[in-house]
Amino acid sequence: MIKKSLPERILRTLALLLFLLLAIGPLYWIFVTSIKGPKEIYTWPLRYWPENPTLESYRKLFSFSSFGRYFLNSITISLCASFAAMMVSVSSGFALSRYKVKKVKGRLLLSLYFTQTIPTFILMVPLFTTLSKMGLIDSLPMLGIVYVATVVAFSTIMAKSFFDRIPASLEEAAMIDGCSTMQSLFHVILPVTLPGMAAIFSFAFINIWNELFLAVMLLFSDEKMTVPVALNSFISKAGISWDVMSAGIIIALLPTMLVFGIGQKYIVAGLTEGSVKG
Amino acid sequence: MISERNTHRFMLVPAALLLILFIYLPVLKGATMAFQSYNMFDLSNLHFNGFENFINVITNPDIRFLQILGNTLVWVVGSLALQFLLGFLLAMLMKDPFKGRGLYSGLVFYAWALSGFAIGLTWAWLFNGQFGLVNDIFIRSGILKEPVGFLSSPRLAMISVIIANVWYGIPFFGIMLLAALQSVPGELYEAATIDGAGRFHQLFSVTIPYIRPTIISTTLLRTMWIINFPDIIYAMTNGGPVNRTNILATQMINKIFKEYDYGQGAAIGVIIMVLLFAYASFYLKMSSRKEGDV
Repeated sequence: MIKKSLPERILRTLALLLFLLLAIGPLYWIFVTSIKGPKEIYTWPLRYWPENPTLESYRKLFSFSSFGRYFLNSITISLCASFAAMMVSVSSGFALSRYKVKKVKGRLLLSLYFTQTIPTFILMVPLFTTLSKMGLIDSLPMLGIVYVATVVAFSTIMAKSFFDRIPASLEEAAMIDGCSTMQSLFHVILPVTLPGMAAIFSFAFINIWNELFLAVMLLFSDEKMTVPVALNSFISKAGISWDVMSAGIIIALLPTMLVFGIGQKYIVAGLTEGSVKG
Repeated sequence: MISERNTHRFMLVPAALLLILFIYLPVLKGATMAFQSYNMFDLSNLHFNGFENFINVITNPDIRFLQILGNTLVWVVGSLALQFLLGFLLAMLMKDPFKGRGLYSGLVFYAWALSGFAIGLTWAWLFNGQFGLVNDIFIRSGILKEPVGFLSSPRLAMISVIIANVWYGIPFFGIMLLAALQSVPGELYEAATIDGAGRFHQLFSVTIPYIRPTIISTTLLRTMWIINFPDIIYAMTNGGPVNRTNILATQMINKIFKEYDYGQGAAIGVIIMVLLFAYASFYLKMSSRKEGDV
């Protein structure tokens, strides 16, 4: 390594601070907007810190719409679907990792990567028409199953890469001791890959919580809306102002930021060591 | 051993079922719809019409397909290039340890977890023509005399949505490239230093070749995601003003949610997939990657 000189270190620190400012500035601004009164938002020049901070916009958000209900819907569907996606991809990822027939394995993997080229919009109408014919439309559990399907390809790729890193000798040893494949997976392999599982769960949670268009298409009762759908409906509804919208955005960001904050280490490890290996 | 292989096959079943029922079959059906007259207001008249949807999508003068295609290209290339360069710069800055790097990475990378839609709303507010923060900063620093409508200006709208998208994408590249950079063995740099390679030379002869696989897979994945997730544009401009930020994906949203013309919407979807498929094959061939190593 070449030692860095003092001016160079100062330059690096400044650049790092600039990136930090750019990263948190927008979030700060939305937060400040959400605790300003409606009058103060439209004062020019802008105030960078609210004169009379108030939680009024949050109160309005929850009384103006059934936002609490939507939040609960989103939390439930995201938690359940991410957990299911994690279970399914542990199974498929493990099988793919240990599958011996190269040619078949290559094709299966390719078909998983292919899903990444598919625009959600081309799936939406066929899903809508099929599900409505079967009377399965406007159902949160059904939407949850669709969500599992939308993340399962990428989750499987992640899971497979995790299992690839674990030597097969580990489970072979367990099998010599009399474990079945399933038993060795649960008792020997999974405990070693807990970080990987956390990464898959967080990745699925973030994607599912943030999904907008499938929910718009597949749900129509007001009480079944999810948070992104509610925000979307605010745009068109007259009378919603930026203070309430900002409060909505902040609430919508909290769960994924929480998941990211807790799972950051695993997500980073999962994404980098896992799916996109060097 | 045969029973073991069967266990593996059995373990693939849940994922395979989900993918077949909710992804592969619908995509097939969607692709079929692209060759049908499939309008919500004219459902009794559902029939195959060959390439009519594609011809309509491409030649209808009201839609200005070439402009949309050009917008898509600008949107993808502009976003990808800036996301990559800034993400790479950030990763380089963060490579050597410093005090509080863990906390720093949490703060600088959090945007990764946010939704494109919420980010679009956030930036729509930042770029607001009357009370936006960007205007305020520009006016205070004397660059502007009076507020500018960034999102309503045909000249500035595309740049504005790209800025929002770049902001969203820097963390992804930052995370990926940082991990890749940290995997470069230190001896390689030592050897290069002994050979008299300067910092700049090291970057191109050691660092970039070593992390090339990560660069290729991240840029490829990101391209697909940028094309297929129009949430930011949808929230900020929804294709406007006068078509200036309309890309293939937003046009598809309009076809489906506004005009209820599923046939033409599906035709655009097929066009996106064909373009992406051609792009991915070409890209992988050019970067001559080994099979199954994506």
